Amino acid sequence: MKNKIDKNQEEITRKDAIKKIGNYGKYAALTALGTYLVLSPQKAQAASPETPGTGF
Amino acid sequence: MNSKTNILYKTTENKTITWFESSNKYLILEHTTADILKSLNKGISVNKIAEDLSKKLSVPVDATIDFIKNLEKKIYGAKEKNETEEIIDYKDIKVPKSFKFIKYYKVNNVVFKISYLSEKELSLVHPKFAHLVNEEVVNFDFEFDVFINNDVIFLFVDKKQIGSWNNKNIHYFQGKFSMEFIQKIHQKDENEWMGVFHASAVSNEKKSILFLGDSGNGKSTSLALLQAHGFTCLADDFVPIDIEKREVYSFPACISIKKSSLETLLPIYPELETTAEYNFTRLNKIVRYLKPNNNNYFSHLPCNDLVFIKYVKDSDLSCKKIAKIDAFQQLIPDSWLSPKKENAQIFLDWFASLNCYQLTYSKNEEMLKTVSKIFDNDL
Repeated sequence: MKNKIDKNQEEITRKDAIKKIGNYGKYAALTALGTYLVLSPQKAQAASPETPGTGF
Repeated sequence: MNSKTNILYKTTENKTITWFESSNKYLILEHTTADILKSLNKGISVNKIAEDLSKKLSVPVDATIDFIKNLEKKIYGAKEKNETEEIIDYKDIKVPKSFKFIKYYKVNNVVFKISYLSEKELSLVHPKFAHLVNEEVVNFDFEFDVFINNDVIFLFVDKKQIGSWNNKNIHYFQGKFSMEFIQKIHQKDENEWMGVFHASAVSNEKKSILFLGDSGNGKSTSLALLQAHGFTCLADDFVPIDIEKREVYSFPACISIKKSSLETLLPIYPELETTAEYNFTRLNKIVRYLKPNNNNYFSHLPCNDLVFIKYVKDSDLSCKKIAKIDAFQQLIPDSWLSPKKENAQIFLDWFASLNCYQLTYSKNEEMLKTVSKIFDNDL
């Protein structure tokens, strides 16, 4: 019974496996290139909230 | 929205910082991504760039074409979120004829006459500058008027309107007030400043160090401790750096001390016991103001070191250099940076020359020793 199941599974060689992962790796490189960070400075000079005053 | 003209590139460690004049935004990109943008801006076709990228990464050219088109769309096509902004024409606003409070502040030999319509306006500015009040002066160099009219606060300098802010933007009013103040003290226009940093600046009279970190991490407390141990307070909360010299300039405001720091600081500054306490219920903060020990408010000094400081109860001292890209990410959102291209280039070059540290401490003596070592380049 056990042998039967094994025979039904797709068998790939080590070489093929690396090739398959390799392709995904390449697309991952593309994803990494498209990942970036946007930083916006303050639009005007600002004091921090603990400077005097709480609104009017 | 970013546009393809006037972009600056600065390679920093394993990333490229890219600045866009149209939006005054900084993007942190992979070097290859920055190269793709450069090629696009030179007018090289998407297909040509995609072919090169396809060879470089060994992925099908269809995938790289898609990638480049998407990238272009993301960077240049993204529309700004429309923030609702109230635009009202205040050109005809009249300056009140009489003000309840008139104060004269002396900064070295420069005298400011500042008029506040009522106690409310006074409370928004005066506490941080009260130590500069001089009752004897009769002549003044510059005149500021501060008044609220219909829930909008106005700032006039020498009878010229500088701006108006609603009650949600008081910190911008205070920032602009401080900006006008330093422009007069140091005789530099807004375009002559590289940026204003939300930090504490301390000096050993030869150079300065900036302390950064989120509110509550101990910037001001460390500054107060350092000024009691032979160092000078150059600026707290509002740290201006100029374009010409790339130096930190003195800002004469008081150091704000939170209630939680009083226990540490009272033995060194007994005067804090009796100074006025300001209760910011909205922020759940109680603050007192400590006079800076700087006796020359014209001073300015170079700065080579940024220290991200953090007080952590019972922690062991740790001070290590951190990646510049990490420091950059923490620095930008809290800073005002000049939107002028030449100034942005100077900022990027200045930043590239800095050392950036993360300092975590619980024992004040250890923090003081470490800061001395950073000053002496002995870390």
